[in-house]
Amino acid sequence: MGKPDETWEPWVREATDPKRAPAKPEALARLRVLDLSRANFGGLYCSSILAEFGAEVIRIEPPDGDPARRFTPFGLLHHGTGLPYLVEGRNKFHVTLNLEAEEGRELFRTLARRADVVIESFRPGQMDGWGIGYRQLSALDPRLIYCALATYGQFGPKAGCGKPDYDVTNQALSGIVWVTGEMETPGDPKPWEVPTKVGSWLGWHVGGAWAAFAILLALHHRRRSGRGQLIDVSGAEGVMRMINYNVAWYHTCRELMVRVGNLDQGIYPYGFIRVKDGYIFIAGFSDVNFQAITTLMGRPDLPKDPRFDSFLKRAKLENAMALKEEMEQWSVRHTAEEILQMVLAYRGAGVVGMGRANLPSETLGEAHWWERGIFQVVDDPVYGKVLIQGQPVKMTETPPRVKWVCRPVGADNEFIYLKYLGLGRERLQALRVRGVL
Amino acid sequence: MTEDYFAWTDRLFDLGQIFVKPEALEGIRVVEVATLIMGPSNADYLAEFGAEVIKVELPGTGDTMRYVIPDGRPWKNANPAFMPQNRSKHHIALDIRRPEGQELFRQLAVKSDFLVENLRAGTMEGWGLGWRQLSALNPRLIYMADSGFGQWGPFSQGRASYDGVAQVVSGMAWITGFEGRPPTKVGVWIGDYFGALLAAVAGLAALEHRAETGRGQFIDLAQSEGLIRILDWTWLYHHLTSRDRPRAGNRDQAIAPSDIFRTRDGFVAVAAGQDEEFRGLARAMGRPELADDPRFKTLEARLAPEANEELCRIIGAWAAGRTRAEIDELGARFGFAAAPVMNAADIYEDEHYRRRGAVFHFEDPLYGPMADHGPVPKLSETPGRIKWGCKPVGWHNEYVFRRVLGLTSAELADLEAKGIIGRWGTRPGAKPPDDWQGEGKVF
Repeated sequence: MGKPDETWEPWVREATDPKRAPAKPEALARLRVLDLSRANFGGLYCSSILAEFGAEVIRIEPPDGDPARRFTPFGLLHHGTGLPYLVEGRNKFHVTLNLEAEEGRELFRTLARRADVVIESFRPGQMDGWGIGYRQLSALDPRLIYCALATYGQFGPKAGCGKPDYDVTNQALSGIVWVTGEMETPGDPKPWEVPTKVGSWLGWHVGGAWAAFAILLALHHRRRSGRGQLIDVSGAEGVMRMINYNVAWYHTCRELMVRVGNLDQGIYPYGFIRVKDGYIFIAGFSDVNFQAITTLMGRPDLPKDPRFDSFLKRAKLENAMALKEEMEQWSVRHTAEEILQMVLAYRGAGVVGMGRANLPSETLGEAHWWERGIFQVVDDPVYGKVLIQGQPVKMTETPPRVKWVCRPVGADNEFIYLKYLGLGRERLQALRVRGVL
Repeated sequence: MTEDYFAWTDRLFDLGQIFVKPEALEGIRVVEVATLIMGPSNADYLAEFGAEVIKVELPGTGDTMRYVIPDGRPWKNANPAFMPQNRSKHHIALDIRRPEGQELFRQLAVKSDFLVENLRAGTMEGWGLGWRQLSALNPRLIYMADSGFGQWGPFSQGRASYDGVAQVVSGMAWITGFEGRPPTKVGVWIGDYFGALLAAVAGLAALEHRAETGRGQFIDLAQSEGLIRILDWTWLYHHLTSRDRPRAGNRDQAIAPSDIFRTRDGFVAVAAGQDEEFRGLARAMGRPELADDPRFKTLEARLAPEANEELCRIIGAWAAGRTRAEIDELGARFGFAAAPVMNAADIYEDEHYRRRGAVFHFEDPLYGPMADHGPVPKLSETPGRIKWGCKPVGWHNEYVFRRVLGLTSAELADLEAKGIIGRWGTRPGAKPPDDWQGEGKVF
């Protein structure tokens, strides 16, 4: 490979530093989005992405707030709102509206005519049954882009099954749970040796990111055709797309991906091993990279060992397990940091991929992430100083950004309803009394 | 009378009509210089919606991923693990380490809308093919650089990254798995596939900006940061409590109940976070009184760790005597979430996934009937599609160099003789099937 250009790093740091974002334009500044998602972090994450790129996102909650505000670890609330919701409230306006009431739906129709995008996560057919689904709204405004999130989607044999959309079911249906977790001890399976879900809400987040992707595709198409469209996103299918070669392998070879704990089904070394102070991930599965690992270990015999002398032999499960033990005999004598320094100092052939299995607090303690702005402490007018994860995307021209953290239930009713519907305080109060807001 | 909603959606999204409809990214050209998973997936997602992706590989060997073959058993000399992130692409083999190859690459970049790469930071610049050089030639170019740690910052220099690195440094591994057990590696290359998606999202946002201003831009996407972003409450929880988020196995700590249970014939996921959903679950279990039990009556009560644990124990004891299908059906009848833990065979055979094109069947000119994960979002006007599968190294040389750059047969022969362009070598993973008779080529 060629020699990297050393002038690149300082140039690109300057050009994409998130600290410079506020002075730059926003990619979606003209986009208006209504997010109706309910008890669903897929929809919330989708609208977060659009809001980070500058869209005006209006969250429409029921009068007593989105139940997602109460999905929070151990019931913990901060100024009345759950932690996960605070993370996804960024840059959004929050209004209440009772869609169960006809008067509420009429207000929604008017709002939707002024919007570019509607996001919702009700049971499929619910909005349509209320007369405010894509069929009805697109008749009022053919340019509308309408994105619906649901585990089983909007069509297909199970679409009408009526089950709610949850992270854990999305994960289970995708195949990711099947291939994650510890292998069973033969004859003596332990309670933790079971298919295991990803700890965070992957089944929601991935669906939300696909929804944002699709909305931008539809926006591009609308620019050319003048027409909006209906978008159907399933979080289960969203994660399924990321299960490596699961379906292709089954179709071509009738082989199944299975769970192999902290090893890998197809390559080794490529997994977690124990070190003096915890665990690390270490990779070096090609011959030259395996050579690099064994050099660091001071074990030049291993690449010649008949169990480990080829890429394929190392990948075989029983050999990989034996190799893991050999590596751990070395690794448990060193801390993760010591091994990282060895990897960085290594100048021989091949490269070793390595990282410490960080506790969240350890990741928070590393300067890299703070410099790059993935962690930010935002001083929010309502919620005070709050640490949230920022946006992973760095861009030279239109960097995404966080402007505020969240808003209480209905906090923006006056502003938004005045701006779009001309409703002043008195009429809002009357609507509130009638249970419409 | 209005047509039934699901009859209407079935018609609107009919798979049989996909090829009658236009593609969202028709006319958009992507040039890809990427290996393994992240960069190729980024380009693949765009190809699914109509972008013309030109995948640039080195003559002979091509993308390293061609050789990461599960069980070491190639299929028709192709690698099933290379397929999912290389559909509907145009494969050319061009040596961009050499000046003549670099000149051809520049010509391609001038005629492209997107560039996707996942090389070590600064490598493209070292070849004179980086953002600063190419944007001077084509100010409309949108350049997506995919990596482990990003283009800049302390970890970006001299540190190799893989998906597994992103999983550990992000904290994702730490919060996955059971208490008292080691952190758990997610069984798929999630950092790659997800990072690729975020890069594609950013690329489309940049396309919007370009439509307004005529200007492209540079995008830096670190897959480790992609995973940090989606660890939901992990960071804020530490900020407010000074505690590290604990591992909790399959039980959700922020939604109760939400867990995975062993049944008579496999595992099933169950969730009922909202109180009326939990009431439905309690009735389905034949235990309606649970919904009135003060320990479980409200979500707030159920989220207390002891209550959550006890409730999941009760549900687990109930599930143990049932089948996956019974619980799935009860979920539909009583309005709570229930779903089996599916494997590849379950997914492949599932009628719902097939009818939605989530398992997408297509006919490849070289490999015959194929199936793979289909495009995720279903768009009514511009549906995604798979047109063909991955191809051997250099398969589309003639098509691309002739059609896009106007090279003649004599020029192509000369470049091939000099090794500037090339095709597959002898290893399985790079070459056509043994019984290949020349079929399936455009030129």
